[in-house]
Amino acid sequence: MFGVNKRATGTGRPKGLKGDMAFWTPHRMRRDEEQRFDPALADFAVFEGAGLTLGGREVLKDISLSLSERRIGIVGLNGSGKSSLVRLLNGLHLPGCGSVRIFGAETAAVRAQLPRHVGFVFQNPDHQAIFPTVEEEIAFGLTQLGADKQAAREGAADFLKRHHCQPLAKKPFAELSEGQKQLICILAVLVMQPELLVLDEPMASLDGLAARRIQQKLKSLDQKIVLISHDLQVFDGFDRVIWLEDGRVRMDGVPGDVLPAYVTDLDRRAGAATDEVDL
Amino acid sequence: MISVYLPGASWIHRIPVRLKLLTLAVISMAILPVHDPAVLGAVLAGVLVLYATLGPEGLKQVTLLKPLVSLLLIIFLLHGIGGSWMEGLVAVLRLVAMVLLANLVSVTTRMDDMLEAVMSLFYPLKVFGVSPKKPALAVTLVIRFAPVLLSVYSSLAEAYRARTGKRGSWRLIAPFALQALRLSENVAEALTARGGAEGLAVETTANTAERRRMLKRNL
Repeated sequence: MFGVNKRATGTGRPKGLKGDMAFWTPHRMRRDEEQRFDPALADFAVFEGAGLTLGGREVLKDISLSLSERRIGIVGLNGSGKSSLVRLLNGLHLPGCGSVRIFGAETAAVRAQLPRHVGFVFQNPDHQAIFPTVEEEIAFGLTQLGADKQAAREGAADFLKRHHCQPLAKKPFAELSEGQKQLICILAVLVMQPELLVLDEPMASLDGLAARRIQQKLKSLDQKIVLISHDLQVFDGFDRVIWLEDGRVRMDGVPGDVLPAYVTDLDRRAGAATDEVDL
Repeated sequence: MISVYLPGASWIHRIPVRLKLLTLAVISMAILPVHDPAVLGAVLAGVLVLYATLGPEGLKQVTLLKPLVSLLLIIFLLHGIGGSWMEGLVAVLRLVAMVLLANLVSVTTRMDDMLEAVMSLFYPLKVFGVSPKKPALAVTLVIRFAPVLLSVYSSLAEAYRARTGKRGSWRLIAPFALQALRLSENVAEALTARGGAEGLAVETTANTAERRRMLKRNL
């Protein structure tokens, strides 16, 4: 399922490499010299003919996209490939064919470093938190970046204070409300200072109030955001929405164009369904 | 039974984690050959006093023994029927004392301190090229997700009772195992998304210096 990284393999060894440099393979050279992240790039993600097959099923087919907007929404029915698409952004999946470049670097070549640049928030916060208390959970992100224990603790306390979450610092994660849990999961990712934040249905298990507060929090962030949601209201203020269907891009444009078309399609399908199990 | 960390600054909190773990190991081994219920009772009373020094919240932790009551009862009955009731009492007292003592360590120790202490136990694995961080993190995850797994089982038992009117049965073992496997996959994916067990401290690109500066600024 993992595609061959054609870009990362060079065609020949550079001239003039002798002695200690002789171990350099073209592949390694191109990784070090070309596969660098450039957060200043306008197109932070570029899909070129990307496809993905999971469990024998082709979940993404020939996806070609350039993402540059600050706020991008992804919509589509369950099984349309939304989660698979965003998992290509942070290397949880690698394309089986074609390529995906994040900030100019091909994901297949820089997979291990992607979590530095692409933060990922999952649907269920209970599956994300690794440490039992909030402060430790935030500190974990800093230790992942190389901070020692004491610096990570202080950094986590300071970070929580800046995000007005200091009262939660010592609380056990399991005792938080669902909204607080999701907020802490977002902060645990943000503390690693990614340039891009990807969220896979983060509001799915939240009540209306918690969902709106998370939405407000997301609006206030500087990071570029790619968000999957079935609740179309959360795309208010978004720059672009991509509608996926059967692993392909069905429509791509500003929310004012895409969302009404998507809703119309949902209504049409619901009206056309003749079988009760067609859900 | 595994409790979460009880924030505080009691004298037990201040004891270095390695000393706590060593004391736990020594006491546990010391009471293994003891068969005098009076001595074991005294040890148990001593452990309860330690909980009392943590205050009301500390004493509340003792109630977490509740899920173990049925198991303790079975052990007591098995000893009583197969041997003597005194043996059953000794076995139960010993087990309760050890479990409470181990729990005392977990409620008074931050997980990152525990991780560091456990990691040092795995340093010899470096000789075989195995990172000590991975098994240490595995221990952390076991402690963190024990309550989550209990909650998964409770949900299954509740669903079973709603449809059958009966309490949980052996039939729940298979769906529980499947859900546990799915949970472990989700957790592994979430850990990978945050840099994996090894972390992101090693970077080969030129961004390293810039990221370090950012991190320093952030801290």
